Order: sequence, then C-alpha cells, then structure tokens
Amino acid sequence: MKRFVTTTVEVEGREETTVVEVPAFEPAPWGPDAALETVGERAPRLDGVEKVTGRARYTHDVRLPGMLHARVIRATVAAGRVTRLDLSRARALPGVRATLTGEDLPRIYWLGDEPLFGSAIHYWGQPIAALAADSDAVARDAVRLARVTYRSEPFRVRLPTGTESIRSGHFGVTPPETRREERGDVAAALRQADVTVTATYRVPVALHQALETHGSVVSWEGDRVTVYDSTQGIFRVRRELAEHLGIGQHQIRVISEYMGGGFGAKSSCGAYTVAAALLSKATGRPVRCVWDRHEECVDAGHRPETEFRVTAAARRDGTLVALDVEAWVAMGVVGWAGGPGKIFQEQYRCPNVRVAQHFWYGNVGGMEAFRGPFHVEGAFALESAIDLLASKLELDPLEVRRRNHATQDPAKARPYTTELLSECWDDVAKRIGWGAARKKKKKTGRFVRGLGMASQVWGAAGGPPAYALVRLNRDGTALVQTGTQDLGTGARTIFAQIAAAVLGLPLEDVRIVIGDTDAGPYTNTSWGSMTTPSVGPAVRMAAEDAKRQLFEIAAELLHSSPEQLKASRGRISVCGGEPSIAIRKITAQLGDIMIIGRGQRGPNPEGVTMRSFGAQAAEVEVDRLTGRVRVLRIVAAHDCGRVINPELAESQLHGGIILGLGYALFERRESDAKLGRPLNLGLHEYKIPTHADIPEIDARIISVADPAANHVGAKGLAEPPIIPTAPAIANAVFDALGVQVAELPLTPARVLEAIKTGSLDTH
Amino acid sequence: MRIALAVNGSVHTLDVEPRASLLDALRDGVGLTGAKLGCERGECGTCTVLVRGRPIYSCLALACESQHVPIETIEGLANPPEQLHPIQRAFVAADALQCGFCTPGQILSATALLRDNPRPTDAEIKRAMAGNLCRCGTYPKIRKAIQAVTRASPRPSGRPAVRPSE
Repeated sequence: MKRFVTTTVEVEGREETTVVEVPAFEPAPWGPDAALETVGERAPRLDGVEKVTGRARYTHDVRLPGMLHARVIRATVAAGRVTRLDLSRARALPGVRATLTGEDLPRIYWLGDEPLFGSAIHYWGQPIAALAADSDAVARDAVRLARVTYRSEPFRVRLPTGTESIRSGHFGVTPPETRREERGDVAAALRQADVTVTATYRVPVALHQALETHGSVVSWEGDRVTVYDSTQGIFRVRRELAEHLGIGQHQIRVISEYMGGGFGAKSSCGAYTVAAALLSKATGRPVRCVWDRHEECVDAGHRPETEFRVTAAARRDGTLVALDVEAWVAMGVVGWAGGPGKIFQEQYRCPNVRVAQHFWYGNVGGMEAFRGPFHVEGAFALESAIDLLASKLELDPLEVRRRNHATQDPAKARPYTTELLSECWDDVAKRIGWGAARKKKKKTGRFVRGLGMASQVWGAAGGPPAYALVRLNRDGTALVQTGTQDLGTGARTIFAQIAAAVLGLPLEDVRIVIGDTDAGPYTNTSWGSMTTPSVGPAVRMAAEDAKRQLFEIAAELLHSSPEQLKASRGRISVCGGEPSIAIRKITAQLGDIMIIGRGQRGPNPEGVTMRSFGAQAAEVEVDRLTGRVRVLRIVAAHDCGRVINPELAESQLHGGIILGLGYALFERRESDAKLGRPLNLGLHEYKIPTHADIPEIDARIISVADPAANHVGAKGLAEPPIIPTAPAIANAVFDALGVQVAELPLTPARVLEAIKTGSLDTH
Repeated sequence: MRIALAVNGSVHTLDVEPRASLLDALRDGVGLTGAKLGCERGECGTCTVLVRGRPIYSCLALACESQHVPIETIEGLANPPEQLHPIQRAFVAADALQCGFCTPGQILSATALLRDNPRPTDAEIKRAMAGNLCRCGTYPKIRKAIQAVTRASPRPSGRPAVRPSE
C-alpha cells in the first residue's frame, strides 16, 4: 500500500512543502566508507566525444525539413501603450509566412496579469508581436518593416538611491513589497555591543550570458507538438506550454539533448517557445525562434541590482551579538522575491538578526534566478561587513569567522546532517598561506597585495519528486531513463556512474537517456543545485530494484540466496567466493523477458538541516596608480557530501569561481535612466571573463558523504562555489588597501575613489 | 548567388544570398553545425573555423568571399573520423568542456596555436585563446589540455627546450 507524507524541499532559498509518495523500499545509505566501483572515479564525460567532434546537437542546431525562422518585434519605449501596430509591409515582404500579434493569441498571462503580446509596455525590449519567414535574414528584414506607434508613460529603470524614496506609480509596475524578519532582539543587542560597524554595499545587474541564447524549435503536427528547447526543465516547459496553449501535456514532447548553458535563466517556458508553437500551428511547418545576443542581454533575465545597509555588532572578543540588514532589490518588471538577507540568518551563529527586504519593481525585463540567487548578493554584503568588523576589532577576519562558527543551523536551531565549514577554513587557510604570510604582504608603494577570505552556506539537498527507470538488455547492458537534463554539469555521466556502481557493470555497458519528456519519467527542474541529490537516489533505487530481480534469478542458478550475492565487474558472485556468473549469461537465459527497475526519490529527513558549505580565499595585487585589481590566486575548499565524479566536481568549482570573478571585477549591465533602455548589450560591452583573466585556481572538495541527507550521500555543488568568490576578492582588496570598495564590480574608478577618500560609503 | 566552398577537403557548391556569412553557409548550406552562433558580432568565438589554417570568426566573414581557400571545421579535425585528433583527446581527458557549446571553437583556436607554436608558454596560450569565451568556466582545464598536448609533442629539432625568456 502506498503511503504519502509531506516533505520540505529547499529550492534556491525557498522552502517548498509538498506531498510525496514514500517508496516501497529505500536502500541503505552509502556511508563514507562504502566500497563502490565507478562512483568516486574520474570517469571521462560520456558525452565528451560528441562535444569535441561537433556532433552534439543543441537546440540552435536543430534543422527540420521546411523549417521557418521566427523573430519578435520589440518595444522601443520603456513604458506606455502600443497605439498602433502595422505589420502590413512586413507581411507583404516575399518569404514572410505568418505574423502573430496579441489579437491572434489566446489570452496567455505573461507579466503578472498582462497578456503576452499585450498593448501595455513595461520595459524596453518587451516582445509585442512575432513573425515567421523562410530564412532568418528575411525575418529580420520584416521586423524592420513593422510600424509601431506608442503613447509613452513615465518609467523607472534604476534602483532609487540614498534619500530618494521608493514609491509605486511608475507605469504598470507592481508597488514595492517589504518582508521583515527578526530573531532575538537586535535593538537591545546593539545597545550592549562593544563594537558596531555600519556600511552600505551595492551590487550591480549581472547577466547570465549563456553562450547558447534562449530559443526553441517547435513542430506542431496534428495533435502533437514537439519542442526542442534550450532549457533547464523539460517537464516544467511541457507543463507551462500545455497551460498556455490549452492542450494536454500528453500532446507535448520537450527535448533538450544538449544545451549551451543556463545558470538559472532557462527554467521556464519562454515567449520564443509559445511564439514558435503558435506560428508552427498557423503555418503547418516547424518554426525556430531563437533570441540573438542583444535580445539575450535585454529579455532573458538578470541578477538584480541590490543595495544593502548592514550593521554588525560584536563583543570585544569578536563574538557577534547582532546583525541588522536592510536590502533594496531592483527586481525588474517581474521576478521572485527571494532572500538577500537569508545568508545573514544562516551563515554565522548570531543570536540577534534583523532582516528587512524591499523588493522594488521597475521598468526593465524581469529578473531570473542566477546561480546562487540572492546569496551571491548577500554574501558580498555580509562577508564585507565581517571584515570591516574584524578590522575595527583589530582581529584576524578568519578568527572572527571561527568565533562565530555555526555548528548547528542558527535559523532553525536544529542540527545539520553534516557540516565541515571549519575544515574548509582550515584547508583554505593552509593552502593560501593565511596568518603570518598575510601580514607580510606588501602594503606600500604602487603595487600592493592582500589576502581575503569568505564563507558560504547553501541549501542544496534536493528532494522529491524524481523518478528513474533501469532496463537490462538481453546482452547484459543497461539503459537508464530519467527525465532530467544536462546543462553541462555532467549529469548524464554521474547518473550512469551511479547505475553502473549498483549493477556491478562497467560504465561502458550503461547507456543513459535524458532530456526527453517522452523517454524518461518526471524529474524536477535542474536548479537549486538539486539535480544530483534529487535524481541520484532515484537512479540508485531503480538500479537496486533491477539488481534485486537479477539476484533472485542468479540465486537459483548459483544455488544461493539473493542476500548473499554481490555484483562486480559484470559478474555476480556469492559473497567473497566462487562460483560467479556473468550478468549477460543471466540476461541471455531470460531471453526477451526484460528486467525493469523503478526508482524514485524518497522524502527528506525531518528535524535536520541539510546544507553545502565552503570557503574561499583570494590573493590580489592592486595598482594604486591605475586602480586596477589583479587577482593572482583563488583557493577553494567545499563540503557537499559525496562526490560522484571528482573531475566533474572540480569543473563545477572552476565554473562558479570564474563567474564570481567576473561579478567581482567587471560585470554589470547599465541602463540609461532617461532613455529607459539597457546600454551595454553584447559580449564586448558587457564583459565576461576570458582566458586572459583567469588566475591560478586551486579548488577542491574535502567532504566524503552525507548519508543522513539521502542514501547516495550527495548534496549539490553547482551554486555554492560562486557565492564566496566576489567577497573573498573584495576582502583581499580591503586587506591590500586598508579601505573597502563597497560596490561591485571593483572597477579601477571605484578603487581610485576609495583610495582617495580613504573610505567609500563606510562609517 | 552560387558559390563553392572548400570545406574539410571537399568542395561544396551552394546557393547563398550575397549577405550570407560563412557561418550561415556552413550551418545552413553545408549542414555542418559544429561552429555555433553565439553573438554574431565577433565577440564570443563560438563560430571559430580555420581559413588557410588561421582561426577566424566565421560570423564576420562573407560566404562569397570565402571561396577558393581551404576551410577547416571541427567536423574535419578527426581524420579518419573515428580517430580523435590529439587535441580532441586531450580536451576529453582533461574535462576541458562543460556545456560544450564553445568547445568546437576552443579546439580550433588551440589547434591553430599548436600548429604555429608547438610549445607555447602559459602566457602565449592565454593570449592566443582569449578570443574564445566560455561561460561555464572551463578555462583552467582548456589550458591544461593544451599543455598536455604540448608535453606529448616531440620537441622540434634545433629549438632549445627552454627558451631564454622562460
């Protein structure tokens, strides 16, 4: 009989409580000492050869017979109303096959209560119509022939600063909302503190800039809709598209075999998907709709600009007594109000924490979750404030962190499943040469050097629902089917490793099918660092279920009992002895009777908190003449439970650190307050790190397994490494200069200003 | 207009618009989608192909001006196709790729670098590769892959093992 329970799943700082089915059985957890074949090995990526030969087919590469190319027409005002939309010249252009305006659409809610392709404009670049043509070049020509007139309205694209009040009333924008939370009594604690620091920290609008832009290719044939989509969540796209189109989910198949990066911005069904679907229905031909790089920079989400006002108070010995933070977040026209103050509640043991979070909606495209959303912004403010406090206390910043080490979850006052933050600090301090070496760094003359440290906490335990199937073939090879997707993390490889480990098969005998809603059962969206800890246990359980069936048959053949059998290197043997039998011999005897294992992710444990932790240290050199910051070295240690493949895990660490480096040093999207439009579109104007910008990076994972979190023992790793990078770099600059640069990115102008004034926005 | 492109040792005759880029012609005309369109403005390097052995941004080259010159794409690098080129093998071994979207361009730029300079220094690698962006952050492992090929390649005779500048 099935049993259902409620469980809590944390997704990017949001806790979601859902009802889940309890599996009929769950395998015993793989503890730290579990002897596992394949799992834990540096197996090369299973899709590496596809990717180095150019054979890997991305959504951008899909070419279907008769395929049309769609483009959207975008608003050129930041707020107002379309008073006239004339597509007659566009339609008359040879090669244009169909147009799509708000009038042609079913009512599809897009920006809150506003319909897709509606006449109300809320941001520059908002899509207002679409068209499809024989070639992309003709589609673009046609877009230029569209005639649109507007009635403009007042707008607001930048976060109000200083004494300017935040008010609603700008056209079509939701009023700001505020959330306040307090633990303990901050006012009383501040009165009794020995030392208090207050500072304002700012972070910019940052763009995801996946190299494959958002896009879909859709073929609507009869009652079947096939969608190739560059997405992090094939099942979410299927559900949302079915709702938008008013058709059944069974009519839609979403495929994302290879996708060129997501970083959080590719989690929902896009306007490009809906437009391609409806244009395909109208023309009877497949339609490709892909954003270009400029559209990607305007209408594909961003990390929001945020301002923090932080007060940190401590006793003379460095013990935190109060953290008081007020955060103003510029969300864009829509977005989800996450928790920029959450890391203040979670990172350190502090009895009194007050958080006020204001979410301000303005006339720029909607924000989207971006790798470590809100924690990345909050970590810069928190970790900078900790170093400012340490400086005022004349204590080593690492010692202040150690003194406030949270050995249990300070927000919920309950234990962690596992927690190795202290070990991360030790490891990083040793490798970067903290302590005596730090004091010896050159602090005078033109080029000065400094070391900085920052910590990280992130809810990355995943959860249900997620399902997998394992099928054993007649020749003893296995097929793993699951509805997840590989964003470049290596999901395809690690799930094959888990299945191979359970079945005792060599990795090359396991094939995995993902990224197709018709070919695998449901799994959650790949966000919140949750793919490995969510889908991993489902794959393991499916493989265990298949192995159980295999062992029942093998026990007959080996005159033994299933409990005494083990599978290894393609053979099944009675524990610790002879005889053994090849798995393929058993499956061959079964003929076409197929062993099918079914697995699902069980509920999360109650009464405990599951987190990934980490620490990073940076060494910088600052040119006091030009203000240029050069990062020389980054050292990282992370704790994320069991690592399925250390090579891929290291790649994830590099990826997070390099994104964090760009955020620290040069990334920001600027919008013009008068024109209401973003200014620096493209990868030349919006700088991301290149080969030439990369310092020495020494990153590793120090954890073994977290068997209490789930029976694979793995927690998430994708987001944690970006969180501490920018604050570690900023703290190193503080160490080098003796003054803080309180706004990211740490541009030469800001560094020079900080040197000149001795202090920027700090008191 | 009708043009002929010499791609990976074969001549392809295509009908293209005069304004078509070499990248468009390769992807839509020849059917080779290994080179990607990431920015269309010569900023990201995902469209890198080799023309006369030199890496170029094919999104910025006109197809009609790319005739009568040897063009190499990622699809032609493994020759025979079932045998990976050493730089391709090194990328797989070093995990020098994540999402893989920039990988064909990275590999072609690395190939051109190593043909010109079989034993590049770290600084030379960074400089030669700086026009190929990667958002997943595979740069350290790409460098590692290039260095692995460098170490494996026989030292050209008459050239000192370590140059005085090193």
